[in-house]
Amino acid sequence: MVQAVMTIAAEDDALGARGRSRLLRSPQFSSFVILIVLLAVFAVADANFLSPLNISNMMAFLPELGIIALGMTLLLTAGEFDLSVGAVFGLAPVVVMLLVQNGGVDIGVALLAGLMLCIAIGAINGLIVTKIGISSFLVTLSMLLVVRGAALYITQGFPLKSWDQPGFFVTLLAGSFNIGSFRFYTSLWWFIGLSLFAIYILRYAKLGNWISAIGSNRNAAVARGVPADSVKIWLFIATSVLAGLAGMISAFRISAASPVAGTGYELEVIAMVVVGGTALTGGRGTILGTIVGALMLRAIRNGIVLIGVPGLAYNIFVGLIILAMLILHALLQKNAARG
Amino acid sequence: MMQEVLRLQNLQKSFGSVRALKNASLTLREGEVVALLGDNGAGKSTLIKAISGVFPVDRGDIYVRGEKVSIRSTRDAMDLGIETIHQDTSLAPDLSIARNLFLGREPVNFGWLGVFAPLDLAKLRKAASALLKRVGISKKLDADALVSTLSGGERQSIAISRAMQFAAKVIILDEPTNNLGVEETHGVLRFVKEVRDAGHSVLLITHNIHHVFQVADRIIVMRRGEIVAEQTVADTDLLTVESIITGADMSALLKEARAK
Repeated sequence: MVQAVMTIAAEDDALGARGRSRLLRSPQFSSFVILIVLLAVFAVADANFLSPLNISNMMAFLPELGIIALGMTLLLTAGEFDLSVGAVFGLAPVVVMLLVQNGGVDIGVALLAGLMLCIAIGAINGLIVTKIGISSFLVTLSMLLVVRGAALYITQGFPLKSWDQPGFFVTLLAGSFNIGSFRFYTSLWWFIGLSLFAIYILRYAKLGNWISAIGSNRNAAVARGVPADSVKIWLFIATSVLAGLAGMISAFRISAASPVAGTGYELEVIAMVVVGGTALTGGRGTILGTIVGALMLRAIRNGIVLIGVPGLAYNIFVGLIILAMLILHALLQKNAARG
Repeated sequence: MMQEVLRLQNLQKSFGSVRALKNASLTLREGEVVALLGDNGAGKSTLIKAISGVFPVDRGDIYVRGEKVSIRSTRDAMDLGIETIHQDTSLAPDLSIARNLFLGREPVNFGWLGVFAPLDLAKLRKAASALLKRVGISKKLDADALVSTLSGGERQSIAISRAMQFAAKVIILDEPTNNLGVEETHGVLRFVKEVRDAGHSVLLITHNIHHVFQVADRIIVMRRGEIVAEQTVADTDLLTVESIITGADMSALLKEARAK
């Protein structure tokens, strides 16, 4: 198994060196090669890395950040980004659980309220960015504080009581199933389904054409009658909703909601997206790259712990690996421009 | 006389204390190429920006086919059939040529899906290839190539062919042959004639008077925000036009030239 992975990695490397085709030179492909190499290194360093239990664990966490990363990819491609996703990830389940536990509201109604809240947060972000013309960095940074503050205030800073009542919605969002000795959560289906939808949107739909054009040259897009502001507002809403959905999935999986859940996720998600090859400056986005990026950051976090890097030191490695990826993309980009 | 397509009446526009347009009036008829000439700062750019909806004029009226219109946005201008190609071509560099050509008017399947409708990629590519062939771009361009990989001249050609494909009534070309190679320039000028022959009107802004004499039917000269001369190409010559543009008295030179 390990041997096979390494052989593939070696072959991919050789192809990349002399490859002239667009696929081989694309940023998502180089990210993919590095992902394979990383997986191989971790697998060699610790046999447990590819054990069913460890893979099941990675696959349980993967969708929660990955789902947010899909929205962030579309938003970044349109030239904006959202720092409030981690806070929304925390607030949405807190509000839903509070309604269910203290308000006696039906879980379905509570989820609907959570959804409306996410839509409202995304719409406010989008409206301020597009209509008042403040950079999304500043707007969503402020929103991060507002949303996180709200989550802390309404819970008085304490995690909510654990809530574990199986039902349709819990199964829908956080049910689990076994394939052989692997244990998977339904969230993986959400991630796969949403990934396919996002790939379709960005590459094949009219909307994707608009998103890329807006991020590439907004004035050109507007001059052709593309409703740039509306597209951006809806992307902010979609990103917020996906962050809330990921928060619900996480909360249901561990049967508890915490007001500090998702702290720092915004940067982790942006790292996944740019490591995958999406340009931070807009215009160039790749969902496949983001999936590779999400897998990579998950594997790094998991593998680094497994191979015995001290817990407090492991962000050093995560940061260095991300930096190396970005340098690689920049070099490839330069190379492509010269060629 | 061909039917009037676009008429500007007493357009005025000031930026602070600078009167960029003082009292500009002109008429554009169906199937003619009108060249708008003038030195830098003569007000040509201001005039075309007003027509293409970049900013509103302070005073004056615009008529399209005899009907008074108000142009508040680039979309308004496009809906009225006025397509403008600015000097800095308005393309998205990260998109392919084909996708740029149809940006905002993409051919789709299952149109009822709205913005989620899938692009008709086959049709997109076919139409783009046909268009590229028509422009006569010397180097063979792949419709799937990214615009960021093209030269400035190639980008200009793409932008022009895009305006032409939508059969606009009025096509405004702002310095279309800037940065173009010889062959590309001829391709564009040939294209301008083709468009005129198909019954469209072209307003051509350029510095190159030689190009004007190759394609234009009429010449309008601007100086300091005003239209100072309007002549049919058949009734004038290169030196006369040059002297009007600069405002210099070149009568002695002219006499000498004609005596030869």
